[in-house]
Amino acid sequence: MQAVNIIPMFVIVPLAGAFLNSLVEKKAKWVPDAIGNLSAFILFFFSVLAVQVVRTHGTLVYSVGAWKLPLGIAMVLDGLTAFMLVTVNFIAFMIALYSINYMERFTAKGKFYTLFLLMLTGMNGVIVTGDIFNLFVFLEIASVASYALVAFGTEKHELEAAFKYAVMSTVGSMFVLLGIVLLYGLTSTLNMADMANMLAQKGAANLVLMVSVLFIMGLGLKAALVPFHAWLPDAHPSAPAPISAMLSGILIKSLGVYAMVRIFYNVIGMTAELSSIIMFLGTLSMVVGVFLAIGQWDLKRLLAYHSISQIGYVFLGIGLGTPLGILGGIFHLFNHSVFKSLLFLNSGAIEYSAGTRDLQKMGGLMSKMPVTGSTNLIASMSIAGIPPFNGFWSKLIIIIAAVQAQRFGYAFWAVVASVLTLASFMKVMKYAYFGRLKEGLMSIKEVPFFMKLSMVVLSVVCLIGGMLLIPSLRDIFLNRASDVIALGVNYAAIVLKEVSLSW
Amino acid sequence: MMDFIGQSYGFFRSDPLSSFIGMFVVFFSVLTVIYSIGFMRGKKGLVRYYIYILLTIAASLGVVFANHLIVLMIFWGVLGLLLYLLIGFGENERVSYTAKKTFIIIGGTDAFMLLGAAFIWYLSGTFDMDKLSIALDNKIAVYAYLCLAVGAFAKAGAMPFHSWVPDTAEDAPTPVTAFLPASLDKLLGIYFLARISLDVFQMNGAMNVFLMVVGSVTIVAAVMMALIQHDFKRLLGYHAVSQVGYMVLGIGTGNPIGIAGGLFHMLNHAIYKSCLFFSGGAVEKKAGTTDLEKLGGLVKVMPVTFMTFFVASLSISGVPPFNGFASKWMVYQGVIESGKSGGHLWIVWLIAAMLGSALTLASFMKLIHAIFLGQPSRERKITDERIQETGLTMLAPSIVLAALCIAFGIFAYSGPLKAFIFPAVQGVVFSGVWQAGLATVLILIGIVLGLVIYLLGSAAKTREAEVFMGGEILKDIPDMRISGAEFYNTVQDIGVLKFMYRLAQEKAFDIYEVGTKVTFGFNKVLRSLHNGVLSTYLSWCLLGMIVLFWILLG
Repeated sequence: MQAVNIIPMFVIVPLAGAFLNSLVEKKAKWVPDAIGNLSAFILFFFSVLAVQVVRTHGTLVYSVGAWKLPLGIAMVLDGLTAFMLVTVNFIAFMIALYSINYMERFTAKGKFYTLFLLMLTGMNGVIVTGDIFNLFVFLEIASVASYALVAFGTEKHELEAAFKYAVMSTVGSMFVLLGIVLLYGLTSTLNMADMANMLAQKGAANLVLMVSVLFIMGLGLKAALVPFHAWLPDAHPSAPAPISAMLSGILIKSLGVYAMVRIFYNVIGMTAELSSIIMFLGTLSMVVGVFLAIGQWDLKRLLAYHSISQIGYVFLGIGLGTPLGILGGIFHLFNHSVFKSLLFLNSGAIEYSAGTRDLQKMGGLMSKMPVTGSTNLIASMSIAGIPPFNGFWSKLIIIIAAVQAQRFGYAFWAVVASVLTLASFMKVMKYAYFGRLKEGLMSIKEVPFFMKLSMVVLSVVCLIGGMLLIPSLRDIFLNRASDVIALGVNYAAIVLKEVSLSW
Repeated sequence: MMDFIGQSYGFFRSDPLSSFIGMFVVFFSVLTVIYSIGFMRGKKGLVRYYIYILLTIAASLGVVFANHLIVLMIFWGVLGLLLYLLIGFGENERVSYTAKKTFIIIGGTDAFMLLGAAFIWYLSGTFDMDKLSIALDNKIAVYAYLCLAVGAFAKAGAMPFHSWVPDTAEDAPTPVTAFLPASLDKLLGIYFLARISLDVFQMNGAMNVFLMVVGSVTIVAAVMMALIQHDFKRLLGYHAVSQVGYMVLGIGTGNPIGIAGGLFHMLNHAIYKSCLFFSGGAVEKKAGTTDLEKLGGLVKVMPVTFMTFFVASLSISGVPPFNGFASKWMVYQGVIESGKSGGHLWIVWLIAAMLGSALTLASFMKLIHAIFLGQPSRERKITDERIQETGLTMLAPSIVLAALCIAFGIFAYSGPLKAFIFPAVQGVVFSGVWQAGLATVLILIGIVLGLVIYLLGSAAKTREAEVFMGGEILKDIPDMRISGAEFYNTVQDIGVLKFMYRLAQEKAFDIYEVGTKVTFGFNKVLRSLHNGVLSTYLSWCLLGMIVLFWILLG
């Protein structure tokens, strides 16, 4: 098999899995579990393979349906793509494992896995595509699947949250589409590399600035940047725990952060104003999110607000635009995926065993649920940036990069947000896991095997995640991704060279 | 640009200062482990407890010998986490609150240290502490120093980051308190403060004054709080804060004798404060309470514990010839020395330090009276037979430490100073006459004289009788005695102090409580904006977009 053929697999495998699943889900009880987990595992395997492919072959371009590029739809595999694929598919695999036990609580497990795989299709599609309209299509696939998943419990508040989410997210999508249309009108191409070339030739125009605003709003809404964030604290807690983990852990990153970074850095080209805006919004999200989070008593809502705050760090890092800042930003993106999914899975474990997500109704769970408690402690330390857990390293790099870029104010707020993050997770630990066991919780048990397994694996990654900074590992994984971002619009030249080589 | 992550050598170093601290880290660790064998017997989760203790030792040594700032910070952060976990072994209701508060303060200041490290990288491009010597001549350097100093203050428990120490002292298991807040955290916090003040930065006059202000305020304010405490572990916790003031003051003087005094005081403090906690823990273990109201008269049943506690009390109060005196004396000399460079502020620091010392003595008079002397409370008399001397594993560490209190006091110059402190701090010159031998002889004469007077006085026999008033025995007030716990409660009624104590009661000086109030204020405002109405949220999006259009196109 030629190396380039790995690229479409990231869309084909989950899409095929989703359809197959909806056909045969009724055959036996284990079928949806098997299909969902197998697809997720294959994707994870391919994504690791993709890292290796990028290492040996560099950037690769695949043309869908063998149409001549740039007319046909291109799929591009480069360092950033491979990095995002590993992040998304690793978390998705862990969540699929967790769902084996967790989704027993719901009646329609088959439908769950179908939607899960569709969402995965959308996310992987957004990541691998090299065509800006195709990006929008995949964005919508993932979004629509996620509306349905938020409403999965079909309780009143879940439907309400899903409705709000659907309305706001659609508004965002429309602005993205409008931006794409305007760009198409300006450049007469949809291929992102080609478009970047055209834009570079035409030079700066007011139209491009306007499109930038549309993208900041539309994609910023998907990424939950303040002030476009308001749907998130309703939508993320309402979904079943594995889906909350998926939404907070990877969906907002692949649809929001990745798409924004790819378009702004590699297609439109980053300017000083845009970068200031992104940094400012990032810092604003960081601070507003954490101040909102600390007062919450609903565990999942608290976690959802922290997603807003942590995404702020990612944007601050990437917005700095220096190699160090970008490295910190994408590393934080990876780390946040790991620890935030873990935290949501922990909250799901509590809901599974103790039947509540109200912190005031919990207490002393450490003694009854030691695995959940310990993994939650590790994840809390990670998100709070306590050494040597992974979150520490990425925050460290972001703060150093901010100071290095003489953005002292942003560095200061990053530290303040970090302190408040620690405080709010200390609150979680105190009310949920330590203290006295509440009366009604005497008979609860630790969660079943697969839930424990995925939580433990994620917590191990939190623990040793810092090792990704070891130079030899960093060169393979993180640096390749940050290099692509740092390339800026030169991305076009590399992709187009690859295109001309293959034809 | 990125080589700060990838260096494979030069992460650690050992110099006289770090090896001296490292040695005592191990020394206190050994004593704590021995003591824990007795104290923690029969408690749950002992395997985890000892694992945490061992990890703490390893992490502390990592801090002491680290040369690379980030490596140091990793060990430093791990120590905070371990302290959090160790406090969790406490058994009362409040312990989860205390653990949370402690870790928020410690972990929060660690985050500021990160910022400090980032500033250092910005200024110098290296994290190797032996290569650093940054002049405090620009704003960024000052911020960097303050950020790092904040971490050291919080770890050591200097004001305004002190409020976790008394809480931890009250709620954590006693060996943990003796181990971390009382000895190891002091050693490490002051070590780091000394390291940044001596090596990493070149101190200037203003920064020295800042340190001396922090030191003096800490000394006096904490000892004032200690005076009115009812729980002896909490009282000791406040003294653990107060004594940090001397160390910060000593380092703040900026001259060799003061710095050496500060470091020596750090060592001495770790010795006598561990001894106090160890002895106090023995009392707690046997009497089952730490409330001064319920204790009293224990000297008869726990004579050895009393002796060790007494020696350590005299040390902490700075009574010659014990070690606390030797180091405080050096700090005073340092303060006087600092006055030679001009200004009259040194008088204020000196008065604060001496006042603190006097008040410490006063507070320990109360403590010794309330625990060991005085009359036992009625409540306790019932279970009196069970109260006896503790086992050897709990006694031995206290005895060793009490012996060190005396030895380091009498042989201060030829012993610890020469062996540990002088190699670390060059150029110490004593300005006064230093003859420990003579002083000791004089003091011994004094003690003998005192004994003679006491014996003469006790020749006249006293008579014991039931408490009565107006001819009637008071049955309604069962505990009619002087427990001593309220000796100094009247200080709360003095003018300005009354106001200050009231503020302290409302926790206006507790950075944690103040921070909580501010945070939840912001929280309330932001929450009222999130009303759950879709059209509001959509209008924010549009508003945001309009602002962006205005910025980019306007």
